[in-house]
Amino acid sequence: MSFSTFVTDKAGLQKMYEAIISKHETYAPVEKFGKYDYKKVSSLKECDPDSPIAETMSVKPLFFPRSSKIMKYEATSAGTSILETDQDPLTAQRVVLGVKHCDARGLQVLEAVNKWDYIDSDFLKRRENTVIFSARCDKAGTHCFCTSLDYDLENLDALDIAVVNGAEGKIYLQTRTERGETFLKEKLEKSTMYNVQSTNDESEMKKQYVAFAASFRLKMDYKDINEKMAKRFDSPAFEEASRNCVSCNTCAFICPTCHCFKISDEKIKDTGVRYKSYDSCNNVYFTLEAGGHNPRPAKYRRWRQRSMHKFVYYKERFGVNLCVGCGHCAISCPVNISIFDVVNHIASTPVGS
Amino acid sequence: MEALLVPSLAKVDRIIQETPDVRTYRLKFKDDSVTEKFSWLPGQFVEFSLLGSGECTFCISSSATRKGYFDCSIKRAGVVTADIHSDIEEGDDVGIRGPYGNYFPLDDIKGKNLLFVGGGIGLAPLRSLIQYCIDNRGDYKDFTILYGARTSADICYKEEIEEWKKNTSIKVVLTIDKPEDTWKDNVGVVPKILEEVVKPEIANTKVITCGPPIMIKYTLQSLDRLGFAPKDVITTLEMKMQCGLGKCGRCNIGSTYICKDGPVFTYEQLKALPDEF
Repeated sequence: MSFSTFVTDKAGLQKMYEAIISKHETYAPVEKFGKYDYKKVSSLKECDPDSPIAETMSVKPLFFPRSSKIMKYEATSAGTSILETDQDPLTAQRVVLGVKHCDARGLQVLEAVNKWDYIDSDFLKRRENTVIFSARCDKAGTHCFCTSLDYDLENLDALDIAVVNGAEGKIYLQTRTERGETFLKEKLEKSTMYNVQSTNDESEMKKQYVAFAASFRLKMDYKDINEKMAKRFDSPAFEEASRNCVSCNTCAFICPTCHCFKISDEKIKDTGVRYKSYDSCNNVYFTLEAGGHNPRPAKYRRWRQRSMHKFVYYKERFGVNLCVGCGHCAISCPVNISIFDVVNHIASTPVGS
Repeated sequence: MEALLVPSLAKVDRIIQETPDVRTYRLKFKDDSVTEKFSWLPGQFVEFSLLGSGECTFCISSSATRKGYFDCSIKRAGVVTADIHSDIEEGDDVGIRGPYGNYFPLDDIKGKNLLFVGGGIGLAPLRSLIQYCIDNRGDYKDFTILYGARTSADICYKEEIEEWKKNTSIKVVLTIDKPEDTWKDNVGVVPKILEEVVKPEIANTKVITCGPPIMIKYTLQSLDRLGFAPKDVITTLEMKMQCGLGKCGRCNIGSTYICKDGPVFTYEQLKALPDEF
């Protein structure tokens, strides 16, 4: 299947977004207290598809909720019964506007763990039924390093329709998946209001990417980091790198690729709910066994797990890094730890020292 | 609804008080169609829930060759297991998901001498395999069970051990850590009895061991000294788990998912893992 490129302008794009919002269940970054979170919207005024990267939370919860109900149950002296929770309409088509490329990459990375062996069809169905419009950033944020992690112009199939700013107010729309192609073609057939023209000229998109790529403060060679980290499991530098960590788990909870979860029960009188909620390997109780044994009793061991899982283990298992370089963990960290700094520092220490 | 994580209901058919802090729960699914689909091999585990309290990982301690039920032997250790012991009575319902994980390498041990080395509640996963091998006794050569507990009261499956002792094709060696007035069997920790009393044949023997971490540590050293190759020593890992499905990330050691790639490993495989268990 060949994919298409179109050019339009801001007014045209806005009209298209309005039409999409009025017709489809649409989610987009909505500002609240200076932060943008993906919310269901009923008009373009409520949201900002061009929300700044540093203040925009991950789109992950639309696919892997922060806390979801596994089931409800009733346990009385008469017996026990498991009750269905409200069904998530996984089949309804949704559209998400303004997803950053790094964040969309995160969903792609998560597909691997959700579809090996036991298949988490909830996650996969939500992704299948969602059309993602990206918003490619024009400038890197302070903690961004997405271009250092398998990101390039040819690898954009994590999203369905790429939205890229060109020169003189031009905006390019490029379909990147079959789902995106079908969706956009249908929109364009139905209306001529969007000032859209088909184009074969990708030179401005490439120029935008070159300028964007040049704006990064942080750069690394991830293949080199993968190799070096694999040899530094015993590095004493993990201790120093994790010293200030207060184990608040914020880094994991806001990460587009962290996927550890816990299962917990809440029961009041005869009725209970079982939840699946985000958890983090930085929690001291994460691996604590009932008998008291804990394989990772020290903070540096938990930080080592976090770093190695992201840059060695997941790659060994599923072929991709479990980090997309979005920088949100560093932005949100209350003690200013950056995973970029940690892995680069560990990788620079001598082996076996 | 997270379909993968919803348990099936099972009825507690019988509770056997094994030791002061270990009980075996004999379970039967309430729905016959679940029973039909539920087949397991020795070494696999289930996620067992006491609804309202939580879900825990336990090995299945009986063999599918004993039809109509399955056992979970549960030691009171933490919050949920304390609730299980205090709240569950015969006839009650519990939630079960599974079976999950790999199983003991049944093909590799065929035609071999079998040496089981268990300590405390560590006999639970071995019991599933012991029952399986007894029910297929012709497939194996010498059959030895070395089992140790802290005190005579801490010995699990006492009645069944008496049956094993009566079985002339099985050698059973029991030990407790310290002498007791009425105890006529061996006294001393498992690795010591292994080297001084059992003195196993090395050639053509597979060792299957499980017990508390400290016992495992010294037993592996003893087996090394005796000359067993790491590939002939099989154990099962007890890691904190939650989903059992290779998703929740809890049991990872390096890139290995203990819930999927394990819990059964050879000593040779364990040596290749990062020291995180």
